[in-house]
Amino acid sequence: MLEVNNLSLQMQNQNLLEDINFTLNRGETLCIIGESGSGKTTLLRSLLGLMPLSLGSVRLNGQVYQSPEKTQTGLPSTQMVMQDPIAALNPRQKIKLSIAESLYRSSLKASELDQAIKQALKDVELPEEIENRYPSQISLGQAQRVCIARAIVAKPDILFFDEPLSALDAIIQKQIAHLLDRLKKQNELSYIFITHDLGFARHYADKILLLNHGKVEEYQDVSLFFKGPESAYGQELLKAAYILGSLPQKKTKENRAA
Amino acid sequence: MELSGKDNYLSYFMNTSLFNHLPFFKGILSFSFQTRIVLKKHYLIFCSLALLTAVILLGFIFTPYDPVETDFLNRLSPPSWQNWFGTDQMGRDIATRILYGAGWSVGLALIVSTTGAVIGTIVGLLAGSLGRFVDGFCMRVTDSFFAFPELIAAIVVTGVLGPNTVNMVIALILVSWMRFARLVRALTDDVKQRDYVLQAKLNRIPYLLILTRHYIPNIVLSIIVVWTSSWSRTILSISGLSFLGFGVQPPQAEWGAMLLDGKPYMLTAPHVMIFPGVAVLITVLVLNLMGDHLRDYLQSLEK
Repeated sequence: MLEVNNLSLQMQNQNLLEDINFTLNRGETLCIIGESGSGKTTLLRSLLGLMPLSLGSVRLNGQVYQSPEKTQTGLPSTQMVMQDPIAALNPRQKIKLSIAESLYRSSLKASELDQAIKQALKDVELPEEIENRYPSQISLGQAQRVCIARAIVAKPDILFFDEPLSALDAIIQKQIAHLLDRLKKQNELSYIFITHDLGFARHYADKILLLNHGKVEEYQDVSLFFKGPESAYGQELLKAAYILGSLPQKKTKENRAA
Repeated sequence: MELSGKDNYLSYFMNTSLFNHLPFFKGILSFSFQTRIVLKKHYLIFCSLALLTAVILLGFIFTPYDPVETDFLNRLSPPSWQNWFGTDQMGRDIATRILYGAGWSVGLALIVSTTGAVIGTIVGLLAGSLGRFVDGFCMRVTDSFFAFPELIAAIVVTGVLGPNTVNMVIALILVSWMRFARLVRALTDDVKQRDYVLQAKLNRIPYLLILTRHYIPNIVLSIIVVWTSSWSRTILSISGLSFLGFGVQPPQAEWGAMLLDGKPYMLTAPHVMIFPGVAVLITVLVLNLMGDHLRDYLQSLEK
């Protein structure tokens, strides 16, 4: 479905991204991991046409959307969920208007639009009344659910997440992670996550893309990656995660045995 | 005919006007609990504003004098029961002239500061929300207008165009919009970095809609606060220009022009200058305090 070929990005004679290739099929989850400054967010921004490519292409269902010759802001049938849910909602706009924005390009009839917003709120397990509130009147967890509702209301095929859980506490993280899992199965969505949380990646991803200084260090199935990464950088990252406890110790022993 | 998603989104927007979500405006209209708290906290300023407005309105209705009609038998008479603030060198009632002068000073200042705010907001919005080229162009133009001292530039413009009320208004607008442009540009630039604007761009919402939905509602409060202080500053500028003879021309009852008229009699009949001076002082003070209170209140809303 989504195909990224030889994607490179140069700015002021600096290679921000270099020769990135991956594909994402329907229903798959890809986790982009790597240290801060490795180019994860830049990659996401260039996929969405917020930064023009220097080389390569981004295809969606066979059609080229991003290339050095052509840049389109926002891919069709994709949506994005940001890191900080409160910053992602206009404080002076009611929740329902924020959600309605995703449907701006849709051809829904008036009555269907209201219905779609209500259904989206129901899908993310929020009460209907919330649509008439302002972002300052809801909690952080609710705000992230609203952001997810805004993303799914347009019935996209692919959702991009830029560290969707990092601003939330552990219990809400778990709830949101379960919610995302359910929505994925329900609507056959594909996810692209940017995350620092290796535990989350191991639990929810199908594939892992490990970035380091704008280059792909590793791109493989999640089980293979966590069994033993091929690259030295990948091994180092996993080791650090085991030591710091972001991955359970049991796995460490398995790893050592392997 | 049923509306499509786009039209319906627009109708959503029409139904929720820019301001109706601001508890401040809503509160004023519905006299809610919040309004009562605001009134309690800022009662002094509300009382003085109400008193000032009431006095001016009552004065307009009940004054028996004409602001420009002369009465040479009653020249420079001191304050009395007939003429509360005394009369000027032409025998005109100073109290009546101050009331009518409020219309000139406050009204013209309102026109100047509002027009300045609108022009500055448009320039600042364009500079802050569009690309680097537009930003550079708009801000260099703003800087070049800033290069001239405000009052001197206004004097030069009215001097060239001819000293009258319309030219003074034009001159003051020309020297007052830049402050708004700079402020709005900085605020817009800040909003531009916010995730909700990025999200709107990704949803390919048209630029004008992003402006009206995201930029303006998030900067309008700060503009209102600066607008009130600009209003009082402009009253001073108008009075200053009129005092120097570049603004409202005699026999019109403008406070600055009244000060100019009274200057020769400063020692023999000081009331001719004192009362218009006090009127300027009180009005500017009340408007400044109103701006401060408004800012405090809006800041407390943000939290």
